[in-house]
Amino acid sequence: EDAERGASADREVVEARRRQLDEWCAWRAAIEEELLEERAFLGLPEDPLAVLLATKTPEVPDDAEEQIIE
Amino acid sequence: MRPVLLAGHERALTQIRYNLDGDLIFSTAKDQHICAWYAHNGERLGTYHGHVGAIWTVDVDPTSTMIASGSADNTMRLWDVKTGKNLKTWEFPTAVKRVEFNEDGTKLLGVTEKRMGYLSNIVVVDINPDVNAEQSDEKILTIVCDESKATVAGWSYLSKFIIAGHEDGSVSQYDAKNGDLLYNVSVHELNTPVTDLQWSNDRTYFITASKDKTAKLITAKDLEVLKTYVSDTPLNSAAITPKKDFVILGGGQAAMDVTTTSARQGKFEARFYHKIFEDEIGRVRGHFGPLNTVAADPTGKGYASGGEDGYVRVHMFDKGYFDFMYEVERDRQNRL
Repeated sequence: EDAERGASADREVVEARRRQLDEWCAWRAAIEEELLEERAFLGLPEDPLAVLLATKTPEVPDDAEEQIIE
Repeated sequence: MRPVLLAGHERALTQIRYNLDGDLIFSTAKDQHICAWYAHNGERLGTYHGHVGAIWTVDVDPTSTMIASGSADNTMRLWDVKTGKNLKTWEFPTAVKRVEFNEDGTKLLGVTEKRMGYLSNIVVVDINPDVNAEQSDEKILTIVCDESKATVAGWSYLSKFIIAGHEDGSVSQYDAKNGDLLYNVSVHELNTPVTDLQWSNDRTYFITASKDKTAKLITAKDLEVLKTYVSDTPLNSAAITPKKDFVILGGGQAAMDVTTTSARQGKFEARFYHKIFEDEIGRVRGHFGPLNTVAADPTGKGYASGGEDGYVRVHMFDKGYFDFMYEVERDRQNRL
């Protein structure tokens, strides 16, 4: 009986985690999409950091500190 | 995890920041020096001299060109990472407790202390990303925190909101364009200060640490508390790890608040919690005093902690860290 109770408690914990994980993933998907839409609406690139870093690399390939971003 | 010990500071650490590439670490301490280090071997890249008081805060711009700092000498300063040159100094009536660049490095905010009849302010200046350019004196925005002083603040995604944490345990959302207060929510226990605020990589959510012994994961858009991490010690700092869904908390009872100061009783450990399930999953020992600051490498390879003991400890995650998964996470991954 104890083992039975233990097993159902475990199941509850696992089910609760599954719910938490699903909720988290759903929220992330929604906010990521919203962010992309807002960026598109403002005419901004999808990934702001990738663009900044790309601008810096070609100018001074092995001297990261001296780039100029207009 | 094998830590690298950075022993360049003579006094308590106040803040640590990684650059975006995760290869450089910037640290500030009460000893008036800002240090830059190589993350992979702990070698010192340089120091930035000029402040004449304890330094409370540092941040690095997204291209690792410039850093900003705030100090008890009532100035906020901008520095050239490479040459160490002090590019600009902004003066205030009180200490600058927090600085942060926005996501594209074109704006910088500073949080000033409440003292001597001055209220705590959040000020914003424009930054010219060209290191050779003249920087502007003008404060384009000043937010006066008259309800409760701001202890920390930062920029949300799209530089849309300025989010601040306060001494009374609440968090505020301001319109970053005009400084209007949009929301103020009590997230931590009343009158337990918010001690840290750090962002997720995309700045859509953040984590706060508080003296009430909890850390909270909160959305930038509507200040909804998503998660609460409960610890057994007052917290000074909290960071979100990229790649893995963990958060790192740091704190500990200050020596003057405990009768015995053994590392165990003082609880001077970095604590790892699962970001989604809120469980504590591990601790890392090593410091001889409270952890004042923790920072996660934005590329997910490791983390660093800075202590009241004057040391920075840099940890590289090992395979076990990356392999660790809850059963439900593995299930989900297999289903996708």
